[in-house]
Amino acid sequence: MPPEEEEIIFRGIPISKGIGIGFPIFFAGAEDQVLEVAIPKKEIDLEIDRYRKALDLSRKDVETLQRLSLREDPPEIGSILGTHLEMMQDPLLTSVIEERIRGTQCNTESIFHHIIEEYKERFSTLQDHYFQERVRDIVDVSRRILGHLRPLERIKMGEVPHNSIILTHELVPSETIEANPSLVSAFVTTAGGITSHAAIIARAKGIPYVANVDIKQLKKLQVHSLIVDGSQGFVILNPTRQTLKKYQEIQKGHLKNYKVLKSASHLKGETIDGYEVRIFANLENPKEIDQLLKAGASGIGLFRSEYLFLSRKAFPSEEEQFVIYKRMVKSLKGRPLVIRVFDIGGDKKIDLPSHHPDAKYFTAIGHELNPSLGCRAIRFLLRYPEILHVQLRAILRASYYGEIHILIPMVSDISEVRIVRQTVEEVREALRKSGGKAAKRLPIGCMIEVPSSAIMCDALAEEVDFLSIGTNDLIQYVLAADRSNSSTSDLYFTTHPSILRLIRMVVAAANRARKSIIFCGECDTSMIPLLIGFGIREFSVAARHIPLIKHTIRKWRILDACRLAEEALEYSSAQELKQFLATHKR
Amino acid sequence: MPGEVHVRIVRKIRVKNSLGLHTRPAASIVKLLQPRKASVYFTHKNETINARSIMSILMLAAKKNAVIEVTVEGEDAELTMQHLLNAFDMEFGEK
Repeated sequence: MPPEEEEIIFRGIPISKGIGIGFPIFFAGAEDQVLEVAIPKKEIDLEIDRYRKALDLSRKDVETLQRLSLREDPPEIGSILGTHLEMMQDPLLTSVIEERIRGTQCNTESIFHHIIEEYKERFSTLQDHYFQERVRDIVDVSRRILGHLRPLERIKMGEVPHNSIILTHELVPSETIEANPSLVSAFVTTAGGITSHAAIIARAKGIPYVANVDIKQLKKLQVHSLIVDGSQGFVILNPTRQTLKKYQEIQKGHLKNYKVLKSASHLKGETIDGYEVRIFANLENPKEIDQLLKAGASGIGLFRSEYLFLSRKAFPSEEEQFVIYKRMVKSLKGRPLVIRVFDIGGDKKIDLPSHHPDAKYFTAIGHELNPSLGCRAIRFLLRYPEILHVQLRAILRASYYGEIHILIPMVSDISEVRIVRQTVEEVREALRKSGGKAAKRLPIGCMIEVPSSAIMCDALAEEVDFLSIGTNDLIQYVLAADRSNSSTSDLYFTTHPSILRLIRMVVAAANRARKSIIFCGECDTSMIPLLIGFGIREFSVAARHIPLIKHTIRKWRILDACRLAEEALEYSSAQELKQFLATHKR
Repeated sequence: MPGEVHVRIVRKIRVKNSLGLHTRPAASIVKLLQPRKASVYFTHKNETINARSIMSILMLAAKKNAVIEVTVEGEDAELTMQHLLNAFDMEFGEK
């Protein structure tokens, strides 16, 4: 064990900029990072007893649930719970585990974890989809048992103490959204790439984040305090007084810079020669509207409505949605609100317990080998039109109180746009008949984030009221590089020449059809002049980046930007292009 | 033990129900075997498992029309086999 004062530095991938200084909070999902501990022979019986008790408590849980479900839920739920009870009596979960505890003299958690992983592995290699799906039951049962083995380790992200640095294997979006920036100083994870949704949220909230750090190893060390440098990717354990001082200085500097930028936030976003560029904000949490108005946003260019689902772990009702949308559009005071209908699936999933009323939507889809190419976003909504109906009805009702636009995510074929448009009309008609009010005009836009829709952008531009380029997904699909995979994130360049050509094509198509186009997503500031040069006049970015984007735009003349864009198109490799842009940064 | 008859029966049974040996049939097999004394093993695609474990039965991933070799061993082997044959034949009540 290192002496108390020894400073240790880990190097990871920088994900979200900034300096975080604080105390470690190991955040565990119920199944990850199970420590292996040897159990002395004398205590084996006690250990087995501990497992039996956890199993017993789990059984009682399920029995209670079953009793409750008999009253109101459909009989299938009772029978699923029945199966879970049977599984808890399965020799593989009773005698086999007990034998292994005795045989290996290891703690129950590690053995249980190994066995469950073995089963998961076995089931996931089965060709049959239906059988693969049964893994969920096993996972569900094992989570419950593990939860009882380690009842104290469940901390809620929203309830951590001040100056917490969250250390975990992986961040899921629904948890990240709960994190309060005034409590959480930084994130450090083992898995996760630059553009995972969790990363986007961390950046939007301004929480420093470093990934690709071995948390298991870190957990073995004595950590009293640590510094996370989200700009360089360093994690410094037990910093010396000197190091601490150095980072506190940097932190102060950041704050100063940000203040300078912020003072520019109420200036117009315009080029030196007076071309106006509107900067909107992306938003996940409706409570953060005040902050984005303070940052000088022209409205909300992308409201990721699925976070209403992800944060409450259930689909919100029409009334709940209506109240939220209405409140949002009212506090925007005439500025537009673009609501992207639920983009669920892909990495935006949550594991609902099988008795949850919304679990059926996900169990029917099952485990997808390739979720980013699977049933997500508009595909999910067209599969379950009842969910889309409810959301559209809430949006239409709220549109009476301000300017709302609808954005359809992950369009890969024009028919998807047509179905949504038709559904909007149907819902509008039904609403009218029941005496409800809605805005006369409700613009419908389509996200360009799948290569097929980028290629077909001219036809789509004719069909919709506006286009929205979503770069994060577009890049991952065009370059066939998983954005959350740390070994392919090198391939994932925002400045890849193929992306530039596609963007130029889409902007041209939108201009020809006289439809507006908005650029959504995160980009390096070096990309900004390029994009204005291509003809983009609307951006939607995380609120805290608005001042910086405005600041960049105000340094350029439109003609220079156009020239830069033309020149940039001549580079054929991402690396060259990146260098070219870096030398022209202002 | 005096008087104990050791019987071993092996039969091949075809899975008839449409979804194969999924969770519910597996659960009903385990339940059916609870009062029986015999040890029961299923063999499918070179894999032999203990039929008293739902999770093991599921792991066979036996679909409709799969043929399972059922081995029953013990004094009530004959009766146990009869119960099993019935259950498979009735498609575990799904028909």
